[in-house]
Amino acid sequence: MSEITVVHYLNQFFAGIGGEEAANLPIQVQEGPVGASRLLQNHLGAQGKVLATLVGGDNFVNEHQDEALDAIRKALRELSPAVLIAGPAFDAGRYGVACALVGHVATHDLRIPSVAAMYPENPGAALTRDVILVPTSDSPRDMDRAVAQLARLALKIGTGGELGPASTEGYLPRGIRRPGVRVKPGYERALEMLRAKLAGEAFATEMKVVGYEQVAGAPPVKHLQNATLALITTGGIVPKGNPDRLVRGGAKEWYRYSIEGLDRLDATHWDCVHRGFYIETVKENPNYVLPLDVLRQIEGQGDVKSLYPWFFSTSGVGTAVLDARRMGEQMGSELRAARVDGALLVAT
Amino acid sequence: MAEQHGTDNLVVLLGTPTTDSSQLYAQTVTEGDPTWAGPLAGIALQLPVYHVLDDEVRRQFTANVADEQLAMAELVLEGEALSEAVKAVREATTPGGEGR
Repeated sequence: MSEITVVHYLNQFFAGIGGEEAANLPIQVQEGPVGASRLLQNHLGAQGKVLATLVGGDNFVNEHQDEALDAIRKALRELSPAVLIAGPAFDAGRYGVACALVGHVATHDLRIPSVAAMYPENPGAALTRDVILVPTSDSPRDMDRAVAQLARLALKIGTGGELGPASTEGYLPRGIRRPGVRVKPGYERALEMLRAKLAGEAFATEMKVVGYEQVAGAPPVKHLQNATLALITTGGIVPKGNPDRLVRGGAKEWYRYSIEGLDRLDATHWDCVHRGFYIETVKENPNYVLPLDVLRQIEGQGDVKSLYPWFFSTSGVGTAVLDARRMGEQMGSELRAARVDGALLVAT
Repeated sequence: MAEQHGTDNLVVLLGTPTTDSSQLYAQTVTEGDPTWAGPLAGIALQLPVYHVLDDEVRRQFTANVADEQLAMAELVLEGEALSEAVKAVREATTPGGEGR
């Protein structure tokens, strides 16, 4: 097989140029493999050659998209590779978006097949169907496996080969259905699946339903009497007048409000903003959602040491999982830094 | 450092905060930078590497130094998990594992 030509896109970090301080770097064209491209070249072996590494700072590509993509387009026209490879970006959001944009320019604008790699929940993964996406873990520890898979798929599409279905080739499904004829008709396949399921055997579904993520519970607080507890609510409790303009649903932000010196939340100073339940009762008595009154009693009895002087609030309805996770991590890191022992999140 | 002093009397202590970052850096100084971003890509120094909160390491500090330098970190970091994560890389990648 003759050698195929490859151009590899990397961000400033994986090209070995620098971290955040170099994130404003404009597009650079470096001859041959640099940084993580050296690993790609190892995996391509004698079957492929990295002609050049395109490097872009994560901020630059995201904030100056037109200028960055013009530079990418120009470089790809001059280099004219058989295939464009981008990443792996893992869970790095800006980098993932850049990989998707660069791949889109290659394949959509210039008809150069492209393959990129990133964590399936990276925002870049939802941007384009033109780019074949190899799923990775969220950590660069997955580098070697991911780059090996990038190289394998690149060699296939770079030589004009047809890729099989996502599940057998190891890329993310793009929602593209191709007509074809199965060996067995649907009713036979369905009965075989049912039989296998009843017998407790493995089977591959043809209609994948995405399940809920399992989140492991936190370990119990060992000594409540020595513990500082924080209050968190997704019930949309806000000061009267909603000064931060918390939205009633689909929230992307959370806010913190002081409860220092307060024995309870009274209806003249507090309000409820939420489109997911009947809020009139809570407007009359906000302690139903944020039970400060009861917790102050418990604190007074010495059953917990203290309450964290701020509570965190958002409206928990219609919020995207990724936003919810980010907000949870932000809250968690503040509580961890403040040495809070546990948090109480009352359901609404 | 490894070029200047050789690798025979060199031990690497990590102060990394997560198991993931601990394993990344441990791999970097044993079998080479797994991200291939830095100068140690493809270079297997095979240095013995420990987390600074590892009991084996901690015992070798005087109480004053340990209290001053490590006490805060011990409160917020999972020392045992970090030590185990580094140990797993060390034992898989350095010849003779523990005994060097």
